[in-house]
Amino acid sequence: MIVSLDWLGEYVDLPPVAEMTERLLLAGLNHESTEAAGSDTAVDLEVTSNRPDCLGHIGIAREVAVLFDRPLRMPAVELPPVSGDAPVRVTIEAGDICPFYSARVIRGVAVGPSPDWLVRRLAAVGVASVNNVVDITNYVMLECGQPLHAFDLSRLAGNQIVVRRAVAEEPFVAINHKQYALTDEMSVIADAERPVALAGVMGGAETEITEATADVLLESAQFAPLPVRAAARGLVLGSPSSYRFERGPDPAAVEWASRRAAALIVELAGGRLDGPVAEAGQLASRPAEIILRSNRVETVLGVAVAWDRQREILRSLGFVEREAMADASRWAAPTWRRDCWREIDLVEEVARIEGYDCVPENVPLAAQPVQRSPRERTVRMVADVCVAAGFCEAMTRSVVAESFEAFDSPWGGVAPLVCRPPLVRGADHLRRTLIPSLLEARVGSLAAGAPHGDLFEIAHGYIIRPEDAQDGGSPVEEPLLLTLVTGGDFFCGKGLATAVLARLGLQERPTIESGATMGPAGHGVCFQPFVSPLLAPGRAAEIVLQRSGFPTCRIGVVGEISPSLGQCLNADEHTVVVELRIDCLEFIVDEEPARVALSSFPAIQRDINLVVDEAVSWGDIVAAVESTRCRELEAIRLGEIWRDADRLGQGKKSVVVSVRLRSPETTLSAEQANALVAAMVEACTSRVGATLRA
Amino acid sequence: MTNLPLDAFTAELQRLHAEAGQVLTAVADDTALELARVTFLGAKSGRIRQVQKGLGQVAKEDKPAAGRQFNAVKTAVEELFADAQQRIDAGASPGAVEAVDVSLPGTPLRLGRVHPLTQTIRRVAAIMGYLGFEVVEGPEVEDQWHNFEALAIPAEHPARDPLDNFYISVAQAAEPLLLRSQTSTVQIRVMEQREPPLRIVSLGRVYRPDTADATHYPMFHQVEGLLIEPGTTMAHLKSVLRSFASSFLGGDVHVRFRPSFFPFTEPSVEVDMEWNGRWIEMGGAGMVDPAVLEAVGYDPDVVSGFAFGLGVERIAARRFGVADIRDFYRNDVRFLEQFSDRGQV
Repeated sequence: MIVSLDWLGEYVDLPPVAEMTERLLLAGLNHESTEAAGSDTAVDLEVTSNRPDCLGHIGIAREVAVLFDRPLRMPAVELPPVSGDAPVRVTIEAGDICPFYSARVIRGVAVGPSPDWLVRRLAAVGVASVNNVVDITNYVMLECGQPLHAFDLSRLAGNQIVVRRAVAEEPFVAINHKQYALTDEMSVIADAERPVALAGVMGGAETEITEATADVLLESAQFAPLPVRAAARGLVLGSPSSYRFERGPDPAAVEWASRRAAALIVELAGGRLDGPVAEAGQLASRPAEIILRSNRVETVLGVAVAWDRQREILRSLGFVEREAMADASRWAAPTWRRDCWREIDLVEEVARIEGYDCVPENVPLAAQPVQRSPRERTVRMVADVCVAAGFCEAMTRSVVAESFEAFDSPWGGVAPLVCRPPLVRGADHLRRTLIPSLLEARVGSLAAGAPHGDLFEIAHGYIIRPEDAQDGGSPVEEPLLLTLVTGGDFFCGKGLATAVLARLGLQERPTIESGATMGPAGHGVCFQPFVSPLLAPGRAAEIVLQRSGFPTCRIGVVGEISPSLGQCLNADEHTVVVELRIDCLEFIVDEEPARVALSSFPAIQRDINLVVDEAVSWGDIVAAVESTRCRELEAIRLGEIWRDADRLGQGKKSVVVSVRLRSPETTLSAEQANALVAAMVEACTSRVGATLRA
Repeated sequence: MTNLPLDAFTAELQRLHAEAGQVLTAVADDTALELARVTFLGAKSGRIRQVQKGLGQVAKEDKPAAGRQFNAVKTAVEELFADAQQRIDAGASPGAVEAVDVSLPGTPLRLGRVHPLTQTIRRVAAIMGYLGFEVVEGPEVEDQWHNFEALAIPAEHPARDPLDNFYISVAQAAEPLLLRSQTSTVQIRVMEQREPPLRIVSLGRVYRPDTADATHYPMFHQVEGLLIEPGTTMAHLKSVLRSFASSFLGGDVHVRFRPSFFPFTEPSVEVDMEWNGRWIEMGGAGMVDPAVLEAVGYDPDVVSGFAFGLGVERIAARRFGVADIRDFYRNDVRFLEQFSDRGQV
């Protein structure tokens, strides 16, 4: 709301402008700017949506008057007496949109330029002068906040005003001379034949006031906020009028503004009133009565304001004390303050005028212990691993293009979740995986010249739950995902995944079947071949969590990106991704792992040279070795794998298994070690058909 | 056999040790090293061997002491030899070690970084943690009850306009869901689940259809605090925010309230903090509206509370001097690597 100081001074004696704007700022009217406007000064104040009373100079003047304890001068409005019947008929067919409509007729006006003072004041607040009649309607709106409209009566068919819903596709040319197609949800002011204004938003070109206009129909009405807003937004046709109706002007100003404008028209453009005002409907006004307890302000603010001072503030704001009780009083809110209807609203009024500077800023708060949630701790731990591994945390958009989602997700959710409007152009699918987004970030960053594109992100995916898993809760599940992307092969990705999981205390187990060997912690993870459109065939794994007492579940995937994903995002195919569901791993941060005392006895290292069929996996071999339940088996490492059809035979490979043996109680002898290794070889022979390499 | 006095034996040992030390620290090549080995450690007639022969001539009662001394020196000489060998193998020459160009780059070790917004969130959460606030999270896809109604935003409120929210039609839900427009939704969820007293901060991503520019992005992060305890006043709110601002900015920072309007707080205020002699906007706050307390089943005559919200991007941009918040979402490591949290998290 831009205020002209010259204009504002008509209603209240003004303090110096800087002092005034500072005080208004601390009472709820943000000061945007103060600028010279000719000989006048324009002050721009931000008005919150609950204060339509401040969308006119009088409302601002009232605040100044209250804050600086000065009298408020309301302009006197005197209309010559009229007699007879109203010369037009007003009918409201859409009462939900327009509760009240009034029309006043002024005949014989001389439309022409406005006087200088009027032109100057409007110019100061950024409104161009049109002609004296239109300027007056704008002036009165900017004075009291009630929008008005003036029609050329001679162009209205049938001397009548009908407020009705538009007929779908009904054409309408607004005063900006653009044509609009209306919908049947919009409401129009019509004459006997056609729409002449879009209710509360804008008048029509055909009935606008011109130099040729002699008879004026002056509209002052009340329109409901939502339909006005819908129409203005639907047609992208916001106006100072719709802006005010969306917020709800003072109901009492409907009648006042009509008389004020009519008086000014008669004064500045000549003409005479023709008959009394024509009206239809009932003014919607909700005069609230509110009881304020005298101790309530202190209870809310934490500082007392004298009861007499509270009452003085409310009275100066226009509240009327209907009844004074022992330690409370009953107040009627002024018509222009429809935001005030509860006790807490009165408390805020007192606080706002008294100023929040009176509220103490050194009240102690009792200490309270706090714990980080398992989620917070899990996120910290995994992020720390990523940072230590040289990865930078990225943040990508939660909503992606459909083409990203076409690659499916390891986390299910077939039906897409689509938002309207799109988050940014082309991106309207809530993502089910972060992989394409993070890959896109890597590609973009590398293309821009970044020295590396090793990125990780921790964010939610969004998945529609299966119907049977909804439990009356939200149909949408939001797995918390950790995703990493880097250049490298499958093993590079698996190394990252293993490091993150190990930090959480989850060790890799060779196979799902070996649950019995999960160890004291009772959980572990297993990598298994995985097929997904996101990942390269044969170069990807799912990570399955095994946990005592719970069904196994997929908690991660790792793999080289698929050629089609690489192509879609223009990514180097030598790129590997890891995605983990860390929401499924939170349980582990509350488990204290059992400590293992270090043995002080030396270890014995042995290499076992096995020859196995090509189809036997490393995991199978590990499982076979572990099946011996050898207490002294401290570690199993892969020595090497090599193939030589001549020496090993077709379809065979040599696997060197390096085992470290150590006893907690004694130094193992070579004979003991030999026996343990022999048992392992035997297990490998019986379980995976291994033979010792000669 | 003549008896060799222990003193003489010891002196001989020390001489041997000293000489071996001189020679073995000075040898510069394999030939010299081999020569030194034969001289001192030679199995037949090396100096050590020679001295060892003397051990036999020491009086019987001195033998244990002499033996200990001999073993110690023998070990020491062997170590000197091993050191010399290692040095020569490594190509270094004694007294003339080749100096390295210390300005050459070290072996690279790259560390990553957490995102500057995460750094900011962690810092805010840590400070609020000192004040007894616990971090809570909730869903980003919300229903209209939690995003609007429970927050005193009725159906006809403009904030619910389809153009101002990201609505999501889901077949299984009776009415459209939406990407939450504020993290206050989580506060409602916590209040529905728990009884006062409560001190929580909810944080996470929120979504509003703003056109992206230097100060707006349709997805951003909020941190919102909520305290519900009997007897809570705006003085508590101001004091907590002052503590927060002082901890965040350092020093004794004052805050001020300007009246504002939010549907879910009453009174509502904008909070400014004084920074470098200027008031800068920190966020919105207020006393929890009685209607909100009632919506979650609390009695507004028994408990009261305050809430405040901070825009993470805005305070991060200010804290780090980032002019365009879109940079936070470009994910270029050259940008991300510039943010060191300097141990403040």
